[in-house]
Amino acid sequence: MGFVGTVLGIFGFGFGITAGLVIGYYFFIYIQPSDVADPEIRPLVEEDQETLQKMLPEIPFWVKNPDYDRLDWLNKFLEYMWPNLNKAICATVKGIVKPIIDEQIPQYKIDAVEFEALTLGSLPPTFQGMKIYVTEEKELIMEPSIKWAANANVTIAVKAYGLKATAQVVDLQVFALPRITLKPLVPSFPCFANIFVSLMDKPYVDFGLKVVGIDLMSVPILYRFVQEIIKDQVANMYHWPKTLEVQILDPAKAFDRPVGLLHVKVIRALKLQKKDLLGASDPYVKIKLTDSKLPSKQTTVKMKNLNPEWNEDFNFTVKDPLTQILKLHVIDWEQVSFHGSFFFHLVVTLNISCFAQIGKHDKMGMNEVPLKDLTPDEPKLMTLALVKKKDTNDAQNDKSRGQLVVELTYKPFKEEELPKTFQQTKTLLVRAPDNTPDGGGMLVVIVHEAEDVEGKHHNNPYVRILFRGEKRKTKKIRKTRDPRWEEEFTFMLDEPPINDKIHLEVYSSSSRIGLRRPKESLGFIDINLSNVVNNKRINERYHLIDSKNGRIQIELQWRTKD
Amino acid sequence: MGLVSGMFMGMVFGISLMAGWRHMMKYRSTKRIAKAADIKILGALSRDDLKKICGDNYPEWISFPVYEQVKWLNKHLSKLWPFVAEAASAVIKESVEPLLEEYRPPGITSLKFSKLSLGTVAPKIEGIRVQNLKKGQITMDIDLRWGGDPSIILGVEAALVASIPIQLKNLQVFTVVRVIFQLAEEIPCISAVVVALLAEPKPRIDYTLKAVGGSLTAVPGISDMIDDTVNSIVTDMLQWPHRIVVPIGGIPVDTSELELKPEGKLKVTVVKANNLKNLEMIGKSDPYVVVHIRPLFKIKTKVIENNLNPIWNETFELIAEDRETQELTVEVFDQDIGQDKRLGIAKFRLIELEPETPKEVNLNLLSSLDTLKIKDNKDRGSCTIKLLYHQFNKEEQLIALEEEKRILEERKRLKEAGVIGSTMDALDGAASLVGSGVGMVGTGIGTGVGLVGSGVSAGVGMVGMD
Repeated sequence: MGFVGTVLGIFGFGFGITAGLVIGYYFFIYIQPSDVADPEIRPLVEEDQETLQKMLPEIPFWVKNPDYDRLDWLNKFLEYMWPNLNKAICATVKGIVKPIIDEQIPQYKIDAVEFEALTLGSLPPTFQGMKIYVTEEKELIMEPSIKWAANANVTIAVKAYGLKATAQVVDLQVFALPRITLKPLVPSFPCFANIFVSLMDKPYVDFGLKVVGIDLMSVPILYRFVQEIIKDQVANMYHWPKTLEVQILDPAKAFDRPVGLLHVKVIRALKLQKKDLLGASDPYVKIKLTDSKLPSKQTTVKMKNLNPEWNEDFNFTVKDPLTQILKLHVIDWEQVSFHGSFFFHLVVTLNISCFAQIGKHDKMGMNEVPLKDLTPDEPKLMTLALVKKKDTNDAQNDKSRGQLVVELTYKPFKEEELPKTFQQTKTLLVRAPDNTPDGGGMLVVIVHEAEDVEGKHHNNPYVRILFRGEKRKTKKIRKTRDPRWEEEFTFMLDEPPINDKIHLEVYSSSSRIGLRRPKESLGFIDINLSNVVNNKRINERYHLIDSKNGRIQIELQWRTKD
Repeated sequence: MGLVSGMFMGMVFGISLMAGWRHMMKYRSTKRIAKAADIKILGALSRDDLKKICGDNYPEWISFPVYEQVKWLNKHLSKLWPFVAEAASAVIKESVEPLLEEYRPPGITSLKFSKLSLGTVAPKIEGIRVQNLKKGQITMDIDLRWGGDPSIILGVEAALVASIPIQLKNLQVFTVVRVIFQLAEEIPCISAVVVALLAEPKPRIDYTLKAVGGSLTAVPGISDMIDDTVNSIVTDMLQWPHRIVVPIGGIPVDTSELELKPEGKLKVTVVKANNLKNLEMIGKSDPYVVVHIRPLFKIKTKVIENNLNPIWNETFELIAEDRETQELTVEVFDQDIGQDKRLGIAKFRLIELEPETPKEVNLNLLSSLDTLKIKDNKDRGSCTIKLLYHQFNKEEQLIALEEEKRILEERKRLKEAGVIGSTMDALDGAASLVGSGVGMVGTGIGTGVGLVGSGVSAGVGMVGMD
């Protein structure tokens, strides 16, 4: 009895437990509805104290911290948009997943895998506060607190051998605190080139995973385990300082980086027309590339020569070879006569900007070469017929004005030389050029902007830089208390400027003549350069001395060859 | 015995295991659902909710204005502004210049930007409000304030004078921008965006005009002309119910529903005016009336000379696009040598009319509609008009739409041909002040333009009825 009874007992127990599980499964789980109901949301005012107590840890950041901003308008927006967004996202997911499933299932002898239900639920993600950081760099940093407690329902049914098994994900909840950085800021829409996203904390993830109706996640150990794995996996990928980089604008376009070099050799001109009344003309060639901020370049003047030979070389950086055009003007140089010079003097005092146009330099002819006509890396010898004006069917164009012989070579930079991403551009930027002396480097001073600079009599601020006896200055910005210069100055140095200081002073000068105080100082600042050498780069806002509230943002870089 | 008890024990154990599991499932599920409900509530808190949660420790820094504050957006905007300003200048130049061309007053031959920079001061968003007024649409109102220092120099060419650079200074824009997002069921879920300036509170766009290196008095009336142009553009293009519809995201959608369409026709009979103010030195005023709903379509009665109680009895038809918000503007002018003087202005809200029911109203004339500008409360007389509003059916609507298009094109063609400007100058120097109405075209060149005149040279029917 004893032994047999025990064996029978164990056997019976085994049988019983199977039957019990089946019955229990049928009674308690199988007949339970598997669809997800909308949670009942009661107005907060009606809640009792106990429920409120439970809610306390979830109170949004903007309530707790004054430096967070409320984003309820965005929540509302999302809420209204959510039904559409839900449908759109689900349709997209189905569209992507379906072909993959169809391709995979024949290998596994499965009849069909299909979505029985796919919805993200009626609850949209919510923003529980937004914090932003203001730095001196060209970037926008924001940290929204995103909480998505969804009543999502994703049910996948697998059919094989005439049986059906379902796996269901319900009540997905994701809480995360991502940092979104938009940088660098660029002057073309949408005004930033990249988006960087990284998580500042391990995200909170919770969900129910039902396999044939049984929620596996309700086994406490398993739940912990799965949650930890997910958190670690996500954290490994995107936890700060690791980031997800999304490129919005092409870096070359965004930064206006040159993509190639144009080599221009002005060889000679032939049969130029006589312009001077006495003797032959004194020609020189002015070369300009369109859409380029670089000033035009010019050859030497060949005196009294209508068939001058120059053989001079010029280089231009090219940003867009498809649209840029090289313009060549042959100009007759003329000395300004005594009469002219008197007049000239008068005009200059009145308006300095007229300077370039003063002195009667006759145009002898011009022509243009669109860069798209050039084959890359192939020198092209061109003989250009000079005309008076381009793109007009002017009768005067028929007149022969001579010819200009030039040799043009367009050398695009090699693919690998071009910076691919923002990070690469950054590293490329901080290197000094190759001709820097060993042990030395390049000191770069970037004068960004100033605020609240106030002059007593006028407010046309500019900055003067004094460094080792060298003086530089920015352009003058008229009538503003918050000038923005964004100008860069470089100093080549043989050794690091550890014991040096740089002196920057903001001045205002009046454009009016005869004012009693033509120039006044709006404040200055001395910066020790040893920190710059140690840190390579310092970008800070300094309070101006001798100024009430004035501040100035200066970026200093110490670039070495390596 | 062992077998049976074993089986029983096993069954009890199995069932209770399942029951326990189910209990756990239920427990975890309720917990999750409760959390979801909490998060949902906390995503849209009101002042009372917060009071209830926080009790006595209610944080002082929190307030709940109608337009929710967006300090973070402003901070970002001010940092981003130099870049936005540079990028936007080109876009504005491209998009606004054709507009200026379309709305430029007849006295000016060319109106272009010769310099445009948006300055260093970023606009400030006072607040944002999101509403769901219509199914399938999200309405977002942005309270925008911009007291900027942009440098805008307009190159203005008038008929007689060469190009004058005119600088727009101290621009101030206070307005509520209404953005309506039309939802769709495909990503990006927005099929079109409608942008308009909310009419209430009325958009305030202030600026001072200054001629560069000269004086504005060189061309009399030029600042009025520019004011008029800006005003027309704002009220006829941007201010609700007028709107700009921008389709988005490559989804081919029918945006015609969103566009402003002729909705009905208003038959206006200008009967008479009483006790008009006398502005003439000698004799009495020579009054005439200009009526419009949209400033682009102004119609004028004939002038009755030397009369302060004139009777016109002239009937016009005007198209209404949005009965709920549009108004009929009635202006009485005194024809004079040089500029015509305004004797009074009055507005009548179309919503007060019952469709197909004639109504006679007596409008009190005011010196200006801007209550801040009214200096005197002197009685400026009244104007009696008869109104009949007719709601269009589908077919009539289409006809009216076509007609409106045709008139606009006709106007454009005339403008290009230079007919309007010159004809107007020759006919009536004062006409330019009245503005750029089609009605003016009618008076200027009569039926020769192809508009349907109703006998009297001044009465130009907008729609070729009957």
